[in-house]
Amino acid sequence: MPGGGRCPDCGSTELVEDSHYSQSQLVCSDCGCVVTEGVLTTTFTDEGNLREVTYSRSTGESEQVSRSQQRGLRRVRDLCRVLQLPSTFEDTAIAYYQQAYQHSGIRAARLQKKEVLVGCCVLITCRQHNWPLTMGTICALLYADMDVFSGTYMQIVKLLGLDVPSLCLADLVKTYCSSFKLFQASPSVPAKYVEDKDKMLSRTLQLVELANETWLVTGRHPLPVITAATFLAWQSLQPSDRLTCSLARFCKLANVDLPYPAASRLQELLAILLRMAEQLAWLQVLKLDKRSVVKHIGDLLQHRHMLVRMAFQDGTAETEDQEKEQQGQRQEQRHGEEEVDSSLDLPKGKRPASPALLLPPCMLKPPKRIRPILPISTVTGDENISDSEIEQYLRTPQEVRDFERAQAASHASTSVPNPP
Amino acid sequence: MEGNTYLELYLDRCAAQDDLALPVSPLFSPVVPYEGYLRNSSNPEIVFSSHLEVRETSGDFSSVDLSFLPDELTQENKDQTVIKSKCQTEENCKTQQNRLPLPSEQLRVKNSSLSNSHSFLQPGGTDSVQVSPEKPNSDTLSLSSITPMTPMTPLSECSGIVPQIQNIVSTVNLACRLDLKKIALHAKNAEYNPKRFAAVIMRIREPRTTALIFSSGKMVCTGAKSEEQSRLAARKYARVVQKLGFPARFLDFKIQNMVGSCDVRFSIRLEGLVLTHQQFSSYEPELFPGLIYRMVKPRIVLLIFVSGKVVLTGAKERSEIYEAFENIYPILKGFKKT
Repeated sequence: MPGGGRCPDCGSTELVEDSHYSQSQLVCSDCGCVVTEGVLTTTFTDEGNLREVTYSRSTGESEQVSRSQQRGLRRVRDLCRVLQLPSTFEDTAIAYYQQAYQHSGIRAARLQKKEVLVGCCVLITCRQHNWPLTMGTICALLYADMDVFSGTYMQIVKLLGLDVPSLCLADLVKTYCSSFKLFQASPSVPAKYVEDKDKMLSRTLQLVELANETWLVTGRHPLPVITAATFLAWQSLQPSDRLTCSLARFCKLANVDLPYPAASRLQELLAILLRMAEQLAWLQVLKLDKRSVVKHIGDLLQHRHMLVRMAFQDGTAETEDQEKEQQGQRQEQRHGEEEVDSSLDLPKGKRPASPALLLPPCMLKPPKRIRPILPISTVTGDENISDSEIEQYLRTPQEVRDFERAQAASHASTSVPNPP
Repeated sequence: MEGNTYLELYLDRCAAQDDLALPVSPLFSPVVPYEGYLRNSSNPEIVFSSHLEVRETSGDFSSVDLSFLPDELTQENKDQTVIKSKCQTEENCKTQQNRLPLPSEQLRVKNSSLSNSHSFLQPGGTDSVQVSPEKPNSDTLSLSSITPMTPMTPLSECSGIVPQIQNIVSTVNLACRLDLKKIALHAKNAEYNPKRFAAVIMRIREPRTTALIFSSGKMVCTGAKSEEQSRLAARKYARVVQKLGFPARFLDFKIQNMVGSCDVRFSIRLEGLVLTHQQFSSYEPELFPGLIYRMVKPRIVLLIFVSGKVVLTGAKERSEIYEAFENIYPILKGFKKT
């Protein structure tokens, strides 16, 4: 160690600081002679000169597992056990929690956030193993606020640099559908409402796939779509008895919470099915509506791929074509790829005139307000600012006096009057 | 001369197709989207490579009126046309066409644009087209040789969409301590609620902006739609503070954040985008309907929605927003068709 020190025995400059137990010593690395040695103990006067260090800056903090971290790790284990997750998940979630705790921002966070962090670690573990766990479930179990949960989740994913895969829709369907209490008769569930689990699962899966294909799932919370699909699947398996049952009643029977957007998803799904039904000749004559189409969902699902292709045209090709055709919509001259069926059918007059666009519902609705196109401003930023323009924002002295008087009056009226 | 007859036939067909011509698709940036486009359709590949090999077309077009064609197809700009006419040939390939026999090599340009892949794949044809494995190299080489002298659309306008700046946040130092109570008392457009927030919130009508004025003399100005407007607004606020009797100056004006938005006009499969660009994207439909894309260069955050609307934020300069959009547009186009 350079520093001008020399061994008194051999004269070498290679001195190393090496501690013997807790006593610091300066030792020559050539001959082993102890050059200097520190004190093993401190005297009372010595300790008086030492400055105290806060716990957060002392080395002890990073070495030991703090009490709040221990509590957090216990909560992670408890949550994994409540959710009946495999034991490997527990270890992974614990590792994530410990990793998160290394960061000072997490160590200094409020208890509420640390509690939510427990849920985040479990959620990330489940997502990485394709275990379908929704954020809603975790928030309900932890009695956590969704805003706090989302903020913490985004922060921890960024902090730890994790790759979290998306929620697996098929697995979520299976788990969620299995939680519906409709597979056995009970006092609350009449016999005609009981349904076979496998049949309902497979039909729900098909309906969810259909919704995914027709842009009903992208950008939306997945659970309401699955609720609507389950309801339709259940209804369509025995329509004569079940058409009278509403979505709300269905969820109550099945002992499942009804998510608010499920009703709107149901309407969207029915609209898609109606459009598909228009492509089947034997259903066209029946003039179906939203209630009667449920009876034919089985048939529609069987041929869903072909029907979707026939019933809808790709939204993008359609807009391109309309741009290039100035006037005179001669459909025979359109690109033959998607529109051949529809254009050829027009002369026959058997199919609807123009297939609907396959677009997300937000693109099909008319815009709420037309965004105003701002005129190009010629502001340079260095213009003269006239005094009159600034004066308009200032109060005259009279106005100031009036304002002060009004403020004083309002303060007097709001303050509690002294009891007599 | 039979050459002229075929040429006239071709030109007539071009004239008829002008009404139905596809808009020229923006595929001229030499990197990813170009190759992606080529991979998608085999016809233009073959057609295009044939174009590149055509250099010595000696067809005599002087007698024919070519004024209705875009400039690129005239004899002088033959080299440039090979790129631009790729799109035209693509549309020609797709539409129903009579296949003309291919007599002479002076008609190679027309041949390649007229015939579809069927005739190209016939071995031993006069038009000896080879799909060379090193085609991408030749593409980029020819592109690099072409770009300097071309009057084509510049790459910056490839997408044809310009993001609109919606909001600019800037800060300025007035360099004097301020009495917020006095400001709130003497200014009509100010609100001050010390229990809620420790600054005066002041608004002016032109440019329509809002400012947060702190007692330290620092000020934040938000709501302007352009950099110049933001600067003018900040100066107006400083002038108001000056008129109230404080020795306000105008130091260190800096634009801290710019927000822009635009619409690509097609729907986007966000689930697909998050799969292919996992390291940059974050898509949680349970939390937020849009996909959050964190671009590395330039360092911009984009919010991409299923309707095709894109919000870009985090820029300090206008060019960063434009650059970020030009970077994302080809990626989004890749997800246009399901």
